[in-house]
Amino acid sequence: MPDVAELLQFVIAGLKSGSIYALVALGFTLVYAATGAINFAQGEFYMLGGMLGVWFVSLGLPLPLAVLSAVTATAAVGALFELLAVRPISDGNPLRIIIVTIGGSVVLRQIALHLFGPDELALPAFTTGSSLKIAGAAIERQTVWIWALTALAVVGLVVLYRKTTFGKAMRATSLNRDAARLVGIDARAMVTAAFALAAALGALAGLAVAPLTQTAFDVGAGIGVKGFSAAILGGLGNPIAAVGGGLLLGLLESLAAGYLDPVYKDAVSVVVLLAVLFLRPQGLLGGSGKEKV
Amino acid sequence: MKHALRVVSLALGLAVALSIVGCGGQGATEEVSQSAEPVKIGAVLSLTGTYAGLGAAEKQALDLEVKRANDAGGIDGRQIELVIEDDATDEAKAVAAASKLIEQDNVVAILGASGTGQSMAMRGDIDRAGVPLISMAGGTVITQKFDPQVFQTPWSNTIVVPFVLDAIKAAGHTDIALLSDTGGYGKDGKPLIETSAAEKGLKIVASETFNPGDADMTAQLTKIRSSGADAVLIWTAGKEAATIMKNAEALGMREGDGVVPFFGGSGQARVEFAEGAGPAAEGFVFGTGKSLVPNNWGVDSEAYKVVNDFSTRYRQAYGQDPDIFAGHAFDAFSILTRALKTAGPDADAAALRDAIEGTQGLVGFGGTFGFSAQDHNGLTTDDLALYRIENGVWEPVE
Repeated sequence: MPDVAELLQFVIAGLKSGSIYALVALGFTLVYAATGAINFAQGEFYMLGGMLGVWFVSLGLPLPLAVLSAVTATAAVGALFELLAVRPISDGNPLRIIIVTIGGSVVLRQIALHLFGPDELALPAFTTGSSLKIAGAAIERQTVWIWALTALAVVGLVVLYRKTTFGKAMRATSLNRDAARLVGIDARAMVTAAFALAAALGALAGLAVAPLTQTAFDVGAGIGVKGFSAAILGGLGNPIAAVGGGLLLGLLESLAAGYLDPVYKDAVSVVVLLAVLFLRPQGLLGGSGKEKV
Repeated sequence: MKHALRVVSLALGLAVALSIVGCGGQGATEEVSQSAEPVKIGAVLSLTGTYAGLGAAEKQALDLEVKRANDAGGIDGRQIELVIEDDATDEAKAVAAASKLIEQDNVVAILGASGTGQSMAMRGDIDRAGVPLISMAGGTVITQKFDPQVFQTPWSNTIVVPFVLDAIKAAGHTDIALLSDTGGYGKDGKPLIETSAAEKGLKIVASETFNPGDADMTAQLTKIRSSGADAVLIWTAGKEAATIMKNAEALGMREGDGVVPFFGGSGQARVEFAEGAGPAAEGFVFGTGKSLVPNNWGVDSEAYKVVNDFSTRYRQAYGQDPDIFAGHAFDAFSILTRALKTAGPDADAAALRDAIEGTQGLVGFGGTFGFSAQDHNGLTTDDLALYRIENGVWEPVE
């Protein structure tokens, strides 16, 4: 097998994982923009998306409807999570929000364990059929879905932010909360909306990947770390940068697994992450902070 | 009058004896008193955390067996009291659970843990207290790194690895690729596979690893594909096995020109593997205990009766078939109760340990247990069988 095809295969695998990281990273940047805090429960939304999807399918819903319901339900959980756990923190101190989200992630995981059981569950593939071949490299059909859904989510988010009043209100809130409130924007509702959107994006990632990897109550913590790394790598507070960070992280991991020992895969991403934090703390693609939303 | 009194008292006595002894058995001839202190046994299980799936099945099996043993009169008429602690798949919590069971509950023996790391972590307290431990985890290290207090019920890698490699060799393969996880199970099996393959004249042309939780194994499989291996052996207990098979299918390694046979071990003896991998797992061959399909033993054998009897009762109680983890817990409890009957319910920890080590010819779920001063796993390759996944379910390979 020629080396070009092998390289192409590694790149495809990297962009597949990278897209998933990007979706999760987007959730981190949304909540960061709204609250200035890192939402450590983001990985649990990814888990909930997949688990709820499997559950809706088991209830007899057709797959597209089950996916849609799972995304909506997880968004509702995200909003509820904000209302019950984050909003009561009256001073909006980011450190306290972070600690609350860590606790919340444990609660969500244990609830999922009791509702759905400890074993891994399988979601059917979105479209069946053999994988596609390009220049000697194979692309799973589900991978095409992952790419399409990621692209759709990014475009949708950009349109939401740039073109709609709602999106503009969210941006205004993240830029200056008090000023936004003065012009009549309900800043608290914007924070709730950010959590709901972040949860929906996480759920979408969890659903898109579940046909390939199955899902279980404990998959959230690992992906949360990856998504967080991707967001840091790209630059927190900038959605496009987060997507870039996700894709880059996926590529790095895949190439490290391909050309170095796979054991170093996670190490490589951590080393790169640390290097970015030391040399360019605002992220590779980030500006000076959260103003760039 | 005197006569009538005697009849009434006899009837009363009989009724009391029957109600305590239940269906009778050894205890029927003993003097029974309900006020006797119960025999306390501890169990450390992973009821939450990563191994919650294992711990839940083990708890069900233990609850079922304790109730059955007590209904049958307990140990020489004394009831068994099982104290279960959750270690949350955490080694530190396993240590805390063990010391609580030893110090506060004064248990005579501990069953557990569900995981290898947790089982190893408890050793300090086990050794200090001199209490015997029967582990339900599969790591070879549990009985290979020998501790006189520690016993183990699952089929250890030391017998499963050579068994599967023999099957690969018998199928005519010489160049094998190994894909193992860097977690406990894969790390445990890898060195064994390397030495055992060398002994059998099999060449490992590619050896790849992955981390637990990895969602894509395409890179490793691409390298395996270009290594020219004519068989792939995967060694992991995790859900990543299904992902491996799906990635392999996408790379064209499951059918057509590029097809390569895939082999595995006990880690794939789970319904979730065949379900999760779907068509990609068709033709997958793995080696594990015979009891996965009790008919393997032959319907007239004692092993068949033991396994079938346990399965039937488990199904009646929980509405599902017992998995191998439930079976390993069943064995741990059987070994302990038999030793308690031999040594007597009042035996001290040392005498109980000796009685466990003296276990011979105990037919359980895992096979026929025969411990010795050097072997605290007590199973052999005779207790294993090969299975092939066909139409989504495992079938024994002739």
